[in-house]
Amino acid sequence: MSVSLSVALSLAAGAAVADVVPVVSARSAVTALSNSQLADIFLGKVSHFPNGLPAVPIDLAEDSLVRDEFYAKFLGKTPAQIKAFWAKIIFTGRGHPPKTMSNGTALKKFIADNNNAIGYLEREWVDSSVKALAQP
Amino acid sequence: MNKYATLRFSSCWTAIGLLATLSYSAGAGQTSDDSLASMFALSAFGTLGVVHSSEDRADFTYNIFRPEGAGYSQAWSPDVDSRVGGQIVASLAPRLSAMVQVISEQNYDNTFTPHVEWANLKYQVTPYASIRVGRIVLPSFLVSDSRNVGYTNAWIRPPVELYSLVPVDSSDGVDVSYRLHSGRVIQTLVGTYGETNSTLPAGGTGNSRRQWIVSDTVEYGSLTVHAAYQEAHLTLSNLHALFGHFRQFGAQGNALADTYDPYNRRLTFFGMGAMYDPGAWFVMGEWGTTDFHSVLGKSTAWYASTGYRLGKVTPYLTYGELHADSNRSDPGLTVSTLPPFLAGPARGLNGALNSILGSISDQRTMSIGARWDFVKNVDLKLQYDHTRHGAGSPGTLINLQPDFQPGGTVDLFSVAIDFVW
Repeated sequence: MSVSLSVALSLAAGAAVADVVPVVSARSAVTALSNSQLADIFLGKVSHFPNGLPAVPIDLAEDSLVRDEFYAKFLGKTPAQIKAFWAKIIFTGRGHPPKTMSNGTALKKFIADNNNAIGYLEREWVDSSVKALAQP
Repeated sequence: MNKYATLRFSSCWTAIGLLATLSYSAGAGQTSDDSLASMFALSAFGTLGVVHSSEDRADFTYNIFRPEGAGYSQAWSPDVDSRVGGQIVASLAPRLSAMVQVISEQNYDNTFTPHVEWANLKYQVTPYASIRVGRIVLPSFLVSDSRNVGYTNAWIRPPVELYSLVPVDSSDGVDVSYRLHSGRVIQTLVGTYGETNSTLPAGGTGNSRRQWIVSDTVEYGSLTVHAAYQEAHLTLSNLHALFGHFRQFGAQGNALADTYDPYNRRLTFFGMGAMYDPGAWFVMGEWGTTDFHSVLGKSTAWYASTGYRLGKVTPYLTYGELHADSNRSDPGLTVSTLPPFLAGPARGLNGALNSILGSISDQRTMSIGARWDFVKNVDLKLQYDHTRHGAGSPGTLINLQPDFQPGGTVDLFSVAIDFVW
């Protein structure tokens, strides 16, 4: 009884929250990034991958559930926290948030075409044009 | 509503209307002309808040540039925390950008006429070094750069104990910023030189010249540590005029003026703070000390704040203290040795001197509140502050009425809605 309940709960959770993975171009040399390295890149604190190559983070639009899940899972932050973080940077003219793509198709194409770009997709969207990053 | 109040509110709404128009035209630009949209970045922020104070014989307000606030002047004051700001950043060339930030909030003359908060040109010398010229943020505190943007903080306003130590937040001049990376540690060094000129509600001006500050911010993952040292030469015109009268009282008057006259007087500030914010909770604290080397005295303040995020609601707790480290009274001119026709004016000057020294703030505040992120890009905050003033001190209150009792306690109730766009 309790086993079937927990299975049902995990299925429900799985349906509500997609399995999101960070992705780079299939041609990129980067294979793995830790949560803290992802945080530094997506919060604009570093502009290079650990291997020294330039890193250009790409976001999905603000209302995207995949975007919210990415920030919750890898950075531990809510959409409001991310908004507040960038408001601090924007309102002193110190920088601007990552470029955004309106949907997963556009994001995947941009990542595939740009060796320096890094974004995130639902795992089932990953194909031969992009590479899902591992957690070291 | 009297004519004066109507005027104030209408200018506030004019500013909001202007920003709305700008926002609309920029939004239209984004769809019709992509290159224009990528050249200009427009953003806005604001807070609508009201404050009630249990002390009705004095006013609570945000800083010394405010003419009135909650308590004596208004039972529920919208002036303390409300403001609306708009900003435009233009990318002029690959390494050159310009920004202007305009804010409408209660001014020294009780109008809401928008003022230019920051306006500068930025040249990115290398990816890690930049130079700015114009009106620039003064990085005195951990959250100096976002103290006007309520949405970026858990609390309704930064703790007045510490943030009243340096009430100005911009400087006209130049700054140089350099960012160093070593592993996951990011260090940002900033050096600023310039001046800040203000008009005070009581009349007269405050001029902070030859003002320089060096600040260092170290970020390591969720940890941010900040330290700053600042110097300036401050002149307060009204108080300088007062001490001119002291100088007519011979050697003793000159000695008092030399000690207290805020005329081109060196002020120093040193502050440090840290914040740890892993996501689900945060803890932060700051400490600072200011020495005006004048009648404004020497003060030290600190606060500690923590909050825990329960979904969209973040309850928080803050405790702050502000202490006067210098004398808060002075015997002044020796009246007994003066001829009768000078004794009266001398008593008047001694009274004025002691009233300024006595108003140096000494207080501690416990604050409890909650932030609710109830809809995208908008939050609602409730905050309760309990302040205890030091013996004989009015704390940071202004507009003290004759029957005001210093050294007491004050309860504040605040509600605010913040937005960013």
